[in-house]
Parts: sequence; structure tokens; C-alpha cells
Amino acid sequence: MTDAATLVGATPRRRRRGRRKGALSPKVAAVLARAGSVLVTLLGLAGLTFMIGRLLPLDPVLAVLGDNATPEAYRAMTIQLGLDKPLIVQFGNYLLDLARLDFGNSLLSGRPVVDEIARVFPATLELATVAMVIGTGIGVPLGVVAAVYRNSWIDHTARILSLIGYSAPNFWLGLMGLVLFYATLGWVGGPGRLDFIYEFDLTPVTGFFLLDALMSGNLEVFGNVFSHIILPASILALSSLAYISRMTRSFMIEQLEQEYVVTARAKGLGLWRIVWLHVFRNVAVQVITVVALSYAFLLEGAVLTETVFAWPGFGRYMTNALLSADMNSVVGCTLLIGVIFVALNLICDILYRILDPRTR
Amino acid sequence: MTLRTRLLAGVACLAAGSAALSAQAATPDNTLVMAWNIDAISTFDPAQIGEVVTSELVSNICDSLVEFAQDEESRVVPAFAKSWDVSDDKLTLTFHLTEGATFPSGNPVTAADTVWSLKRVLSLGFGNAAALTEYGFSTENMDELILAPDDKTVVLKFDKVYPTNLLLQAIGAYRVAATLDSKTIMANEKDGDFGNAYLNARTECVGPYRLVQWNQGEGIVLQANEGYYGEAPAIPRILIRHVAETGTQRLLVEQGDVDIARDLTPDDLTELAATDGISIKSALKPQLIFQTMNVLRPPFDNPKVREAMKYLVDYQGLGDTVMQYLGKPWNSFAQSGAWGALEGAEGQPFSLDLEKAKALLTEAGYPDGFESTLLIGSLPWSSPLGQHLQQNAAKIGVKLNIEQMANAQLFARARARDFDSIIMAWQTSIPDAHGNASRLVMNPDNSDEAKLTQYPSWRAGYQDLALNEKVLAAATETDDEKRRAIYRDMQVEWMKTGEMAVMFQSYNVAAVRDTVKNWTWNGFRTYYSEASK
Repeated sequence: MTDAATLVGATPRRRRRGRRKGALSPKVAAVLARAGSVLVTLLGLAGLTFMIGRLLPLDPVLAVLGDNATPEAYRAMTIQLGLDKPLIVQFGNYLLDLARLDFGNSLLSGRPVVDEIARVFPATLELATVAMVIGTGIGVPLGVVAAVYRNSWIDHTARILSLIGYSAPNFWLGLMGLVLFYATLGWVGGPGRLDFIYEFDLTPVTGFFLLDALMSGNLEVFGNVFSHIILPASILALSSLAYISRMTRSFMIEQLEQEYVVTARAKGLGLWRIVWLHVFRNVAVQVITVVALSYAFLLEGAVLTETVFAWPGFGRYMTNALLSADMNSVVGCTLLIGVIFVALNLICDILYRILDPRTR
Repeated sequence: MTLRTRLLAGVACLAAGSAALSAQAATPDNTLVMAWNIDAISTFDPAQIGEVVTSELVSNICDSLVEFAQDEESRVVPAFAKSWDVSDDKLTLTFHLTEGATFPSGNPVTAADTVWSLKRVLSLGFGNAAALTEYGFSTENMDELILAPDDKTVVLKFDKVYPTNLLLQAIGAYRVAATLDSKTIMANEKDGDFGNAYLNARTECVGPYRLVQWNQGEGIVLQANEGYYGEAPAIPRILIRHVAETGTQRLLVEQGDVDIARDLTPDDLTELAATDGISIKSALKPQLIFQTMNVLRPPFDNPKVREAMKYLVDYQGLGDTVMQYLGKPWNSFAQSGAWGALEGAEGQPFSLDLEKAKALLTEAGYPDGFESTLLIGSLPWSSPLGQHLQQNAAKIGVKLNIEQMANAQLFARARARDFDSIIMAWQTSIPDAHGNASRLVMNPDNSDEAKLTQYPSWRAGYQDLALNEKVLAAATETDDEKRRAIYRDMQVEWMKTGEMAVMFQSYNVAAVRDTVKNWTWNGFRTYYSEASK
């Protein structure tokens, strides 16, 4: 019994010592855990995309050959695309290619999917970023002011703006915006990323036209690019602005009712000093989550806005790929969206740690 | 300054700043700018292309041996071949090529390139190969039948006597007869693909323009080909911007930011027609819009039922409303304007007649009607036509359940013979009644195993052996009058019993700003090089 008791008593100690020797530091363990979760997420996404691609009633062979293909050409293309192999072999090949970051060629253009995405994604990234700057730049202060002046005209205006942002479809807003600001008032550029007349004056380097125009030193082209992006970005920003301002207002109201605010006021601190330095600091983490989520949804592709504004972006590319059964492109786009969400989550986590000492 | 005043001042500043930055630009004189939905483009290989958009572009980039006359599309005129001869036994067609032409690469264009291009189409075996296989060419006999006796001469030998004009239209003027730069393409061949992958986003041929840039879903740039053997185009650059939304296209052409808008709704076109500085141009296309019925399934296995469906459409009413600018009422398989096609009311004998339709159904044994599924795609006319048919069918007791789907899915269902009836379109490549007779009427083998998916007649399970004979007889009849008579009989009979209820023949339609002069097109080609500003 004594031996047994000794053993029983010794085992946890030995285990604890063993863990201490071979254990990873909490930081490394956290990084590994995060990497593992990212990997599992992406693998799940890849598997799901593969299954959707095989279950959709669209024929990728017809997408390549057209409606008038002969049976011989159809068979040859089926073999060339590897669609004649058993499903499990196709899945294995698919995972191997993904591991090599090879998404294959777009069935529609014949070019590597990676190149195609690299071409269209900057257009969406640029549009979404400008929209996010507008949405956050207006949405956060509006939410703060609406909370401070609760039930005032500012609060009501913010509510109406939010209602429009939530309820009006971007497609309709886009067309109305074009009719008013482009066709009637002439305040902004039309559809597309810049006027046709400047089409050959700008050589894309980064794919971000605002940046490319600045780098080229041609301010006239920069102005034109800006006049083209401002309307679609503003319309796209409207729904984010509504979401961000409403959420910020709600977070702020909760904090403004806390006792430390009353104490600070009693000590004689100025209203806006309390609001921005104390109250807003406490809701910053929540606001960041809201902003990051909005940004991710914008990057995912604002298909309707891109369609109305003839914006050659990621959303339109992915929709067209899906409708044309270009599954290689669909897989590439879906995985990119997955990576965007994971990356933004990661950035949020890092920002939490910086802003909130309790999470360190 | 109050907060309210500050906010208002800020908004005003932003608006003023944007206004200052916005430039109202007209299109440059040296560039023709078009807004067009070019989503469908997938390749520029003349052996493979089938889409309407790419066909139009390639016809301006790659000259075929001959081409259709601008003012009379069923007449053939010289293109890269400056002339042609037919042997006395009518079994050999000889083309004499233009001398001194060069490809954009600088390589001289020779008859060997033309022969290589024709054989390449057969070797690749895409749908376009049918333009050659239908006249007896195959990969096995091509070396004996397609020849280049010297650098300037191409000889085609045939197994049977065909009408010369038909051969010129079906082969000589078609994209399979585009002369490609064999040396450049073969230098970029991959895995025995004859440069098919290389030509996905490039062109290597001889024509008034060359493809400079294509970005999918974004735009296309064509530039005048400096070394072109023919007359230089009046406008050296063509810029096509992909604009999918029709409302956006309308705004662009109204503002003068594009010269031409290609995909507009009837409402937009009606309003633009009344706008100063914009004209609406249209040309009949060789494309038919129809309801095809599956003859392998009841009730459409009964010819009376099929005939009844043809009386359920208010052709004229639709033509004046939702189909205005989109299509002209038409019922025959031979498109209006084609050689051998019926003319005027003869080609459009049906009208809305519910009583007659009901009587035909009763005669067919369906006095109380029936229930069936109607598949439709996502083209602008798909829904209006489907709903119109559904409403009229309901009036005689026929319940049509509409299923709408993406066009790619619709094609797959049609090719799998998995449908009751479908509203879709078909376009022929030749201005001769044979073009559609050989696909919509003729069905060489109706068995499932034959899988003749490129024949709409096979897809619908329709086969009439007597009509098959007539199609073959007409295709080899060299007496024009006799040939016309055969087509007349065929059209009258097929309209009554055929598998399709042809409703409309499509228009090519565009809003063109008046700054563009001489916009020239017919059903088979748009001549960019003729346009000027």
C-alpha cells in the first residue's frame, strides 16, 4: 500500500516535472494552436468547396467547350480536366495541388487562377479600403456623438442614416447615385476605375490605382481615379457606416452609464476628454471587432456594387466563375475569402492584446 | 460655429472637391469605345470559339479566305483569297491567296499556313470542326484533300458535289478558314495542343486588327495591324470595356463616355432612340429563339400537341413590346434573309389562336390539357417568353411549371435530353437554309448511344427520315431552283410537325453616338474597320 501510495503520490509530481521540461512556452503553444486552427479551417473549407463543385448541376466541360461541342471533344476535355478519375483520386490530386498553392488554370481564360486573382483582388481591396476609411471615419464619431447626445437631432439623423444604410439595396443606391452625381451633376467620374481617355496613361504597378497614379506623379490621373472611386466607395461604405455607428452608439451608451464617468465629471474633467480618453478606450476592442467584420464582408466582394459600377473586382470575378462552372477559380476565390477572415481575426487578436492589458 | 454648421460646411467641401476632380471626358478620336458584356469570352482560338462576342472580335482580327458581302450577306466576296475557281467536275475548289501578306510576327503568310490552320481545326476536334467534317473532311483524309501546291494556292477536294456558294459560305467565310501563324503557334505548342492554350488570350493571324490586351471581366484592346495587306482601318484602336449592367451602359453612352452600348433593354433603347446625338442601329442575326419540345416524352411525342404549342404565342404583340429591338417574329428553321428561306408571312404563318390550339389538343387526345415542365435560362427574353407561354397555356388547360436556371445548366439538361421543353436559342454560321436544316431538321442517328449532342434535333429526340433525305438532297443539289423548292417543302412541313416552336429571330442592336460614322454590320459580321469618327 505504501509503495502504491508513494507511486500514486509520485506520479503527478513526475508528470508535472515532465511537462515543465518538454512543455512549450505559452506564447509558442498559443501560436501553434492558432496555426492548427487556421489549418483545420482552411482544410475544411477546401473540402467543402470541392464537394460543392462536384454537386453543383453545372458542367465544367461545357463551360470550356461550349454548347456545340462534339462528343469526342467532350470526352477529350473530360480527361484533360481529370474529371474521368474516381472522386477520391480527384480529391487527392486537388489537395496536393492546393498544398503547392496551385489552383490550376481558370477554365474560362486559360490563365493561372493565382494570376487572375492577383489581377482582380487589388481593385476590390482598394475599393473596400476606401469604403472602410469612410465607414469608420464617419461611423465611429457618429456613433459616439449619437450616444453622447442621445435622442437629440444628431441621434435621430444617425438613426435615419443607419436605416437607409441597412435597408436600401446597394444596387439601387448605385444606379441612383450614378444618375444624380455622375449623369446629372457631373460631380464624380462614371463607371469603371478611370476615364477611357486616361486608360493608357496609367501603368498598373501595384494594382491599386490611387497608389499607382501617385507613384507615376500624374496628379490629373490621380484626380480622375479618385473621382471614380469616391461614389462606389461611399455607397459601399453606407451599410458599414450604419453598422459601425449603431454598434458604437450601443457600446458607448453602456459605458456612459458607468459610475467612473460620473466620478470623472464630478472631478471636473471635460465631457469630450472623458468620452474619448476614458469611455471610448473601454469600447475600442468591441469597435475593432465590428470594424474588422465589416471590412471582411466588404473584401469578400461587393458583387452588386461592382456590377453597377463596372468595377473589375473580385466579387464580380467570383460570381462569373461560379455561373460559368469555372470551379478552379471558385476554389481559389473561396480559399482567399477564408484566408481573409482568418487573417482579420488574427489582426483583431493582436490589437486586443495591445489595447486591453487583461488579454495579455 | 455650431456643430451643425461645421457638419454642413464639411459636406459642402467634400462635394466641391469631388466636382473639381471629376473630368467629363469624351472618347478620343483615334479610339472606338464600346460598353459590352464580354463575360462569355473564354478563348481566342478560331478552332474553338463559339460565343457571339468572340466570333465578332475574331472576324475583325483574323481574315477568312472569303467573306460575306456587307450589303447582302448570302453573297460571298474575296477576303484573304483574292479569287477562287471550281473544277469542271465541281469536286475541287481552288483559292488564290493575296500575295505579300505578313503576320504581326513578321512571318510571311503562305498557303501552307492556311492548310495547317484547316487541318488543325480537324485535329483539335472542337465543335467548329463540324464545318469541315460535314463536307467529308476528316483527320484520316485531310492530307489528301487539303493541299497547298504552292505558296499562293489552297486546294480543297470534296467527296461529293456541293453547291459552290454553300461551300464558300460554310468553309471559306467561316472562322475555320482563318489563316494562323503556324510557326509562332507551334513554337508555343504544349502537350500536342496545337497552341490551343497559347491562343486562349492571344491571336496570331492576319486581319485589320490585332488583339493587344484581354483581361477577363475587365476589357479588351484591339490595335490596327500595321502590316495589314488590306486598307488600314479608319479608327486605329478599339477599346471594349466590360459593363454587365444595362443601366450603366445606358448612362455611359448618354454621357458620351462610350461611343457604343451593346446590351440595352427595350425600354432603354426606346428612350435612347428619342435622345439627341444617339441612334439605334439593328441588324437581324442568324439566331432563332424557340421552344424545343422533347419528342421522346409524352405529350410532345404527338405532333398535334407540338403544333398546338405554336398557336399559344402572340408573336406580334410580343414583337411590339418586350421583344421590340430584341427579335422579329419568325417560325421557320431557315432564318429570314438566308438563301432558300421563306419570305415574309410565309416564314411566319402562326399567330395566337387559343381555339385552334385547344382543338389540336383535343384531336391529340388531351382535351383537358396536361402538366409539363418548361425550362428557361437567364437571358433577357427568357422570363418574359416563358411567362407569356405559361399564361396562354393555362387558358387551354395546360399547366406549364417554369424552372429557371443558369445557361450552363440549361445546356447540360438539353444535351442530356433531360427536359420536357426548353426556351432557348440557336445560331447558325452560314446564310443558307442548309445551316439550320443540317442541325434542327436533320438527325442522323436518334439513339441515346449516338450522343449527337451538337444536333438540337437529337437533343429533342426528333427524327424524320424523309426530311433527313431531303436535307441531304438539298445539300448536294446544284440546280438553284430545284434546291429552293426542296427547302420550301421542308420548311412548310417542319413548321407543322417539327420539334420546335420557333418564335423569334434575334436582332443585333446597339446605341451608337452620332460621332461614330459608318457603323457597318450584318447578321454575320460587324466591320470595325469601316467605322470612323
